[in-house]
Amino acid sequence: MGRTGTDHNAIGQAGTEHNVVGHGTGQAGMFDLAVVGAGPAGMAAALTAADHGLKVVVVDEQQRAGGQIFRQPPEEFTGSVLRPTAGYGWATGLIRRFEADERLTTEFGWSAIGVLYDDALPGGLCLAVNHPQDGTRVIGARRLLIATGAYDLPVAFPGWTLPGVMTAGAVQTLVKAQKIAPVGDVVLAGAHPLLLLVADLLVREGVRVSEVAFAQNIPKPADLLHALGAVPGHVRMLAETGGILARLVRNGVRVSSRTVVTAARGEEHVARVELARVDRRWKVTGTPRAVDASHLVLGYGFSASTELARQIGCDLVYDSPKGGWVVSHDDRLRTSVPGVFVAGEPTGVAGADQSRAEGELAALAIAADLGRDVSATALAEAERGIRTATRFSTVVQRMFEPAREALGDLAGRDTTVCRCETVTRGTLDDFLEASPFVSDVNAVKLSCRTGMGPCQGRYCEGSVGTILASAREQPIGLGGRFSAHLPIKPVPVGDLRTLDSFLDAPPDAPPDGPGGDGSGAVDG
Amino acid sequence: MSESYDVVVVGGGLLGCLTAWMAARDGARVLLVDKDQVNQHASGQNAGSLHFQLEYRMVEAGEEAARVAAEAMPLHLDAAAMWARLEEEIGESLGVRQTGGLMVAENADQVGMLEFKAELERSWGLDVRTLDRSELDTVAPYLSRDIVAANLSALEGKADARIAAPAVARAAVAAGAAVCARTRLTGASHTPTGWDVTLRETDRTGEVRTRTVRTAAVVIAAGVWTTELGQVFGAGLPTVPLALTMTVTSKVPAFIPHLVQHAGARLSLKQSLDKTVLIGGGWPARLMRDADGAPEFDRKHQLIPRSIAGNARAAVNAVPSLERVPAVRSWVGTTTVAPDQLPLVGAVKGAPGVFVATGGSAFTLGPSFARVLTGLLAGRSPDIDLAPYDPARFTEGSTP
Ligand SMILES: Cc1cc2nc3c(=O)[nH]c(=O)nc-3n(C[C@H](O)[C@H](O)[C@H](O)COP(=O)(O)OP(=O)(O)OC[C@H]3O[C@@H](n4cnc5c(N)ncnc54)[C@H](O)[C@@H]3O)c2cc1C
Ligand SMILES: Cc1cc2nc3c(=O)[nH]c(=O)nc-3n(C[C@H](O)[C@H](O)[C@H](O)COP(=O)(O)OP(=O)(O)OC[C@H]3O[C@@H](n4cnc5c(N)ncnc54)[C@H](O)[C@@H]3O)c2cc1C
Repeated sequence: MGRTGTDHNAIGQAGTEHNVVGHGTGQAGMFDLAVVGAGPAGMAAALTAADHGLKVVVVDEQQRAGGQIFRQPPEEFTGSVLRPTAGYGWATGLIRRFEADERLTTEFGWSAIGVLYDDALPGGLCLAVNHPQDGTRVIGARRLLIATGAYDLPVAFPGWTLPGVMTAGAVQTLVKAQKIAPVGDVVLAGAHPLLLLVADLLVREGVRVSEVAFAQNIPKPADLLHALGAVPGHVRMLAETGGILARLVRNGVRVSSRTVVTAARGEEHVARVELARVDRRWKVTGTPRAVDASHLVLGYGFSASTELARQIGCDLVYDSPKGGWVVSHDDRLRTSVPGVFVAGEPTGVAGADQSRAEGELAALAIAADLGRDVSATALAEAERGIRTATRFSTVVQRMFEPAREALGDLAGRDTTVCRCETVTRGTLDDFLEASPFVSDVNAVKLSCRTGMGPCQGRYCEGSVGTILASAREQPIGLGGRFSAHLPIKPVPVGDLRTLDSFLDAPPDAPPDGPGGDGSGAVDG
Repeated sequence: MSESYDVVVVGGGLLGCLTAWMAARDGARVLLVDKDQVNQHASGQNAGSLHFQLEYRMVEAGEEAARVAAEAMPLHLDAAAMWARLEEEIGESLGVRQTGGLMVAENADQVGMLEFKAELERSWGLDVRTLDRSELDTVAPYLSRDIVAANLSALEGKADARIAAPAVARAAVAAGAAVCARTRLTGASHTPTGWDVTLRETDRTGEVRTRTVRTAAVVIAAGVWTTELGQVFGAGLPTVPLALTMTVTSKVPAFIPHLVQHAGARLSLKQSLDKTVLIGGGWPARLMRDADGAPEFDRKHQLIPRSIAGNARAAVNAVPSLERVPAVRSWVGTTTVAPDQLPLVGAVKGAPGVFVATGGSAFTLGPSFARVLTGLLAGRSPDIDLAPYDPARFTEGSTP
């Protein structure tokens, strides 16, 4: 399972072996850097850090490197060669270099479940990781990089929990990584350009797509050019954007604008969806029309994956265009928590180019922090990369910012807002009316259980936040955000018993390792 | 001064909410303020045990310490009776079940401890009974075979810390109290008729404003911030802060009807009415401190690997079927104790009209603390001897 450059065991085989020691692992057992996420940000960071002599471990719960955008089919699909994603020419090279790099310790299939602190690791932190079969371990590291990516923005409306309702990202993953496509008539609805890409992907797989509904006016080709440059797809595909639209129309796909899905209907599975006209702020104006559909694919955009950052206690800031709550950081990608850095989508959903650039800069900052020589040119180059990427991404972010208030209004009294705990909008409304002293989402969470389930609130935070904001006539940001706790993904109580078993770093520390020098201290 | 009250309650934990509710029922004009939201600190983070037996932390330091801790028993017995009728009086569920609490033992030493405890507790009027292994087979079949005996207190049980304080706050509002969140008491000055207190509040636009209100009396129900508030009123209220760890599981079919504690290990567990299992027992977390070592209660405190692991081991040892149950979150809560394990309850010396209660199992004891404080506010003489809980007992002589 795990792979390391040396012969040292990785956690995969750990069990009771010598590499797992009880608490008390000293500084020698620590990695210099633990990276969570092997997408563009995490891969770039790990390689850059290794280039500067850091002992690096990368943890990703997927089976292979690549992250969301370059998700690779499982290795068992032997026929599948890594196809270069056009426009991201660097991607193939980055993944190949990453996979071949002997210096890195990689742990695929392991989820990072939280960060703890142990007095036995002064100046370090303990990254807890869990594997469905192999249990729980902690990894001691001097620095942590959060490169956990993003996920589809969930929107609650009547019927959204019916089987057959899927997110664009999930469909893309199914088709790309698992080679499975939905069967039947598909309707796609949302506001993000990824919808067009997914519609195109489905049409090419031979799936019948009946309609693609955009909440805003259909982006003009010029808008799309900007948009796709920063988020999905790639430069060469930009030229094809118009082509996608044309191809969809040619295949009998209706592409509508100013249209929002207000309900999904069906007994045990989606059979019909209701689409309604909306105004410029996405408020429903007309009576919905029904469209038969076996699947509804939603694509309203992305939310930054910030559970780990929240669990650690990093400050977040509310920035709707950037994807809601994003992790605060300085110009070297340091978070508010000493020793913890962030790169990629958790800083704001900005696409693969920016993720990679941020990964590089974060690694350089970490190397400098740990006393390595970092050239000014390298830093300047990484910063330039971020500036370039940001020019695109801010355009996209502004253009495709979801009208969250209107989306919040889609949930009716009986609509389940929190799927994990099956809490309806009506329960929330009644609670808020009876409890005028409540004005924060965590107070709502504690009383109503919304966000208390295994997903840590990532599915309902947006809905709860907008419902609270409109009930209290306060800005969404003032209502706060759900806190997250270890384990950020559930693990059996029995697995927590080994939370004090450390995975040691490979013993051959680079000669210039910082040892116990004060500059490495994490906890102030 | 436009705004005036009979009492300002500082703190929207269970204690503050109960006090505001009871005082409002008494006819007082009450303002409750919390710097954050109702129930966001200890009262919403704790294990929800209603424990009346002496806890492990009270007996681990030896028999003499246990005897001192037992002096809180009158408050416990009062609380046990109050919890039994609280839901009816509030008119909402607080998740209360007093279906018995077991303190379990695994070896002869621990059984000896149970015997000593039971005798001490009975001498204070708490009914406890020691169950042997064969009785446990029928009463608590979910317990590990390694458990050889347990003390049962029929009054013990649980309430739901998640919902209790907000429900009481709603009752307080219904009784006429004003409840203001995001409102921090930052200053106080003594007046001939009481106090002018300064409140810093964040309004719905995010703007921060300051106002002063006049009040005859003040109740400090501020948990770990008690010492800080004491200073605002010029009084010494020393408390010892603790950061403790809790873990909760996903929902599983009901199988643990009791509160379960351990005579020789840090462990408390119970199944809430939501069917989640709450695991705690006093495992430490790292309390955040500033450069000078002063605690910083507004920061996020840190989990310690050994504590989570140790707590999980203790839980699975006692209830083996928990091994495969998903844990969904572990968190840190902060609370106060006093050096002698007894609470601080009563009038604050040197600050006329100011009252305080905190320390120890203040969730369990919340109702009796609130009843005592409400009585003091109304000028009634307490029916429980408060001398052992005198807030000034550690500062006597040292205050100028
Ligand atoms: C479903 C989906 C599809 C997308 N499709 C496209 C697309 O086609 N084109 C495009 O340009 N952009 C797409 N995006 C946006 C995309 O996220 C970024 O462009 C790019 O992948 C971001 O890189 P990153 O390194 O920041 O994060 P990611 O690539 O998302 O990498 C994050 C990695 O972290 C891992 N991870 C997260 N949390 C944990 C944890 N707790 N423990 C262990 N591992 C963890 C994940 O498994 C993932 O591999 C998509 C996003 C999503 C969510
Ligand atoms: C992990 C854990 C488990 C526990 N388990 C149990 C148990 O099972 N049984 C039990 O009986 N006890 C238990 N306790 C103890 C119990 O939780 C506390 O004693 C009790 O909740 C204290 O309630 P409180 O209302 O006094 O304080 P809190 O609930 O802490 O409320 C104090 C409030 O005061 C507010 N405040 C502070 N300063 C100001 C200010 N200047 N202005 C305005 N507002 C202010 C705060 O914001 C806070 O909301 C546990 C404690 C912890 C941490």
